[in-house]
Amino acid sequence: MKAEYYVRETASNLGRNITITLASVMTVAVSLALVGASLMLRSGVENATRRWQGGIEFVVFMNPNPTQEQVDAVRTDLEQSPEVSKIDYVDKKAAYEEFKMLFADSPELVDSVDPETLPPSFRVEPVNKEVDAVEALGKTYSKMSGVRQVVFASKTIRLIQQLSSRLTVGIFVIAAFLLGAAGLLILNTIRMAMFARRREIEVMKLVGATNWFIRVPFMLEGLVQGLIGALLAIAALAAFKPFFQKWLPSSKDIPLVSGFQVSSGEMLFIFGTLGVVGILIGAIGAGIAVSRFLDV
Amino acid sequence: MIKIENVTKTYKSSTVALRDANVEIAKGEFVFLVGASGSGKSTFIRLLNKEETPDEGHIYVAGKDIGGLSSWKVPFLRRNIGCVFQDFKLLPTKTVFENVAFALEVIGRPRSVIDAQVPAILDLVGLAHKSSNFPDELSGGEQQRVSVARAFVNRPLILLADEPTGNLDPATSVGIMRLLDRINKTGTTVVMATHDRGIVDTMRRRVIELDRGTIVRDQSRGVYE
Repeated sequence: MKAEYYVRETASNLGRNITITLASVMTVAVSLALVGASLMLRSGVENATRRWQGGIEFVVFMNPNPTQEQVDAVRTDLEQSPEVSKIDYVDKKAAYEEFKMLFADSPELVDSVDPETLPPSFRVEPVNKEVDAVEALGKTYSKMSGVRQVVFASKTIRLIQQLSSRLTVGIFVIAAFLLGAAGLLILNTIRMAMFARRREIEVMKLVGATNWFIRVPFMLEGLVQGLIGALLAIAALAAFKPFFQKWLPSSKDIPLVSGFQVSSGEMLFIFGTLGVVGILIGAIGAGIAVSRFLDV
Repeated sequence: MIKIENVTKTYKSSTVALRDANVEIAKGEFVFLVGASGSGKSTFIRLLNKEETPDEGHIYVAGKDIGGLSSWKVPFLRRNIGCVFQDFKLLPTKTVFENVAFALEVIGRPRSVIDAQVPAILDLVGLAHKSSNFPDELSGGEQQRVSVARAFVNRPLILLADEPTGNLDPATSVGIMRLLDRINKTGTTVVMATHDRGIVDTMRRRVIELDRGTIVRDQSRGVYE
């Protein structure tokens, strides 16, 4: 009975001001799509440059099957070096997981790789991050027994990381403004709905409808607008995802950016975030409208 | 049923709407509030319904001090108080039946109760045959009957009427007064603000006269002046 009433009232509120309702839904959708796209970009860049996160400047790759002594020797040397601030050991298993992530778009390649053939490695964050000093330090390890190769973070990767983080901040600022606009639009739609229903509201108060009974349809109106906006944004991003993965030109020049991937787990998280933010914007807009303009 | 103790109400424009009023109304009484425009009759009614809160003094309705009633409890107070106004306050987009049903619907009464009570009350006010008409298809008197039906459908303890005959011709007013009288005979306390000398003089009920916010007369079986 109550649920039926709420659904009916909310639907008629939404329908009454259809143009301004669409305006607020679309604003929510556009702003959330921007937020989502920048979150995807960030995840993509993070995944593509995963081994270079957190100040890692070079990676010491061991042979695919080094002896325990060889690994321990390199580890001890790194740990005792005053020029090394942090190391991170990636064993075969972890390396395979990362490989799967990087090449998720070419499963045949993943299938063809035996985890046993992947080399374990040390990721090293040096104290001094000057290019020359890093190279000098790294090269001392390339001669050690059991070490196959030392790979340095390239300038390109640094550039990509910086670009993506600045881009993310920029997009977030724009999206925040748009979300604010969306909230105000929702607030106004609800205010108009209240004005249209002022006689009903007056009678409801008179005969003793509870405050929440009067408020709920308007609250729902805001929530529904936020939610529909979020769903539109999610649909747009889901449709856009395949293009996104081919967005960066293939990776001959930047070998490490071969996997510009966003995993489905990350996509779910992003979609969830958008849904929550959409509902939140709707609830805030509706909440302000109800507390400011509905004098119960 | 209603007890008003030393109640004073002043509006922002510093006009005194009610000054140190003391009134006690027993269950089942029929009371007329008379006085010139601006004498405080509407304020009296609005205080009982807690649309206004007194600046000083206490108001008891059904034994409860409604002065300190928290806002979420006000709706439950109003479920015991029916209201009728000069301008009917009917919803133009709803039929007669829907207008009355709305009052039950929004306080969460189930469909079965609505379907049983609304036809019964429309029968009582003599509008059973117009239940699917819209308000603008009815005469003023009929609209006021719908409004009385809406106020009474939930069987409130108290019926407040603020100039219910103000927009009606004398003949139609008599019909509304008969209806209010019938409702009063069921044990409902009726408080009615009015300008209508003829009605007050004919009915000979308790009369409370207000003059610029002060109660100047409280007379049982009284006349207009």
